[in-house]
Amino acid sequence: MQKETCVHEKEPCVYEDVELQREARVRKKACIKKEAYLEKEPGIPDVGYVQKKAPGQKEVDILKKAPGQKEVDILKKAPGQNEAYIKQRTWQEKIPVFRQPIIYLQKYGKFLGTFNRAGLFLLLFFLCMALLPSFFAPYSPAERFTPYEAPSVSHFLGTNDIGNDILSELFYGARISMMVGFASACISTLIGLTIGLLSGYFRGWVDELLMGFTDVVLILPKIPLIIILGAFLHPSVWILILVLGLLSWESLARIVRAKTLQIRESGYVKSARGMGFSPFHIMSTDIIPNIVHVVLPKFMLATASAMISEASLSFLGLGDTSMKSWGMMLSFAFSRGGFIREMWWWYMPPGLCITLCVMAIALVGFGFEPKAGDTEKQVVDI
Amino acid sequence: MHSAVKKTLRYLSSFALIVTLNFALPRFMPGDPVKNLIGEDVYVSEAVMEEIRTELGLNRPLIEQFSAYLQGLLRFDLGYSYHLHSPVSEVLQARIGWTLLLVGVSVVLGAILGILLGAYAGWKPETKLNRGIYCGFIAISCTPPYFLALLFLGIFAFKLGLFPFKGFYDTPTIGSVAYHLFLPVSVLALFSASRNFLVMRGSVIQEKEQLYALYARAKGLYDTSILFRHVVKNASLPIITLLALDFGFLFSGALFIEIVFSLNGMGTLIYDAIIGKDYPLLQGAFLVIALSVLLANIFADLLYAAVDPRVRRPA
Repeated sequence: MQKETCVHEKEPCVYEDVELQREARVRKKACIKKEAYLEKEPGIPDVGYVQKKAPGQKEVDILKKAPGQKEVDILKKAPGQNEAYIKQRTWQEKIPVFRQPIIYLQKYGKFLGTFNRAGLFLLLFFLCMALLPSFFAPYSPAERFTPYEAPSVSHFLGTNDIGNDILSELFYGARISMMVGFASACISTLIGLTIGLLSGYFRGWVDELLMGFTDVVLILPKIPLIIILGAFLHPSVWILILVLGLLSWESLARIVRAKTLQIRESGYVKSARGMGFSPFHIMSTDIIPNIVHVVLPKFMLATASAMISEASLSFLGLGDTSMKSWGMMLSFAFSRGGFIREMWWWYMPPGLCITLCVMAIALVGFGFEPKAGDTEKQVVDI
Repeated sequence: MHSAVKKTLRYLSSFALIVTLNFALPRFMPGDPVKNLIGEDVYVSEAVMEEIRTELGLNRPLIEQFSAYLQGLLRFDLGYSYHLHSPVSEVLQARIGWTLLLVGVSVVLGAILGILLGAYAGWKPETKLNRGIYCGFIAISCTPPYFLALLFLGIFAFKLGLFPFKGFYDTPTIGSVAYHLFLPVSVLALFSASRNFLVMRGSVIQEKEQLYALYARAKGLYDTSILFRHVVKNASLPIITLLALDFGFLFSGALFIEIVFSLNGMGTLIYDAIIGKDYPLLQGAFLVIALSVLLANIFADLLYAAVDPRVRRPA
């Protein structure tokens, strides 16, 4: 097997430009440093990188097979990485279905700490619960047994005041709680993204107007407003989703605006403007792909806070009684005697599920956030 | 000066938005505006309803209604609760003091706790203790407020019997009130602290890389004095803005905690108003909460200018 080789070492490029030459030297240093770093990584065997820069060209990754290697897979540059590297395929990656997720994990794997991975698994578990409740749940949630039963073999978590099996209710509630969270986060992300992009890209009076509006909405106390709207509008899940979505986009809009302001000054946006692409085209093909990494964590956090809001509103009796979410279960346990009778198996599981699920979503969201050092490099990317 | 004008304009439009929302909600929501304005479960005959309609001016044009509404607001007239048979402003006045006490004490405690722990956790984020605290605060910030309140009530009041589980006091003395408020305040303070902690930790992690921190170390200062004399001062600036924005969040958190601990503040009032569909009371409560959040934000802006000289003298 061919040892790692850095092209700069073998054939030192001679640049006429002093500036470029200095840059090449810096790159070489970075290359050597990266090598040491990669050697320590146990997950990535046989790494060699090939990188050459022609004078005049901004940045090129040359992908070359090392002589001894049979098959190579080319990993794209991860944001913040200086060099692209070539890696021999492991057997999992030879199966096409696995390849994309594995590459993605390797790219972002270093961002995901232990907690984030735990969050990911927990989230997958809850997603399974939400998608296939009938697969897990022992009974239908509407089926009735003896009310107020303590946990037993036939009912792992006992039964509630009207005799429904609590465990089955728990599984079916996952779908509603998570649907409210994700749907309202989708709405708020869409609004926040649009407003942030528009005000960051067009600046001037559009910016003043939209950001002024954002600041005004930011001050409105959300929960009291949702309480009063919920009281007028008679409870339904869809109204809840809409109201939660319409009221939680401000922080995203601010962040997207700040990022857009930075990116619109970068070389590729300037050249796209020079070539006469429409603002819409530039925003969708040049700017959005470069702000996904700030939007994604915000999306997850919006989901988490929407789930908490849903649970809180259900507690006040403003949820949809026909669709029993976790918050609704907790509310019933409180108002219908589960708490006074000290039936911990009634009020603890939904509460714990909400907490764990929200935590899983938030942890995955934190995992997407790039580390402080990487953001600078991404910004400089011209 | 320019930014001050902008800020003022922003607050004025927020105020206008809140008032307009409050005016528009009962009139544009589905259903009969009269029903929306007096509450749903009140039984009134047709004749009385017409009387109320003319009295409230619902058959006049919207502009006139709006100006009448604004004039009413200037006289602190927030409407009349047909459920409780008294003006909304009087009902709110009697209750809001307790809620403000609960929120105020918790905000102060939460800020102190969050800043101190956040500073330590950000200074040495890799130690086991600090990682544990970090995880703990993430867990708290991911819990719905009322669930934590339920847990505290269940464990400390029901199981262990350490604290009372109902009301503000047995006898109206400071000791009794403090004893009754201990659990609710600690729940709310934990929430406030969890949010401050997360911001403070991130802020300290950023600030300690700055050159002035390095310089302080080069002068030979100890860790604690670098942290508390230099880094904390700069790192706690974002907390001021956060506190103001969080005031609304904590206010709503307090509502849930009051319901769980059966405290007779705004929360129980709003809960009863939701169950009884007492719309005037709900609206009045919303207006009062929104305005107090607005005031908190203005106060925070002034405080920010007083604390940070860079804001006062823009370059």
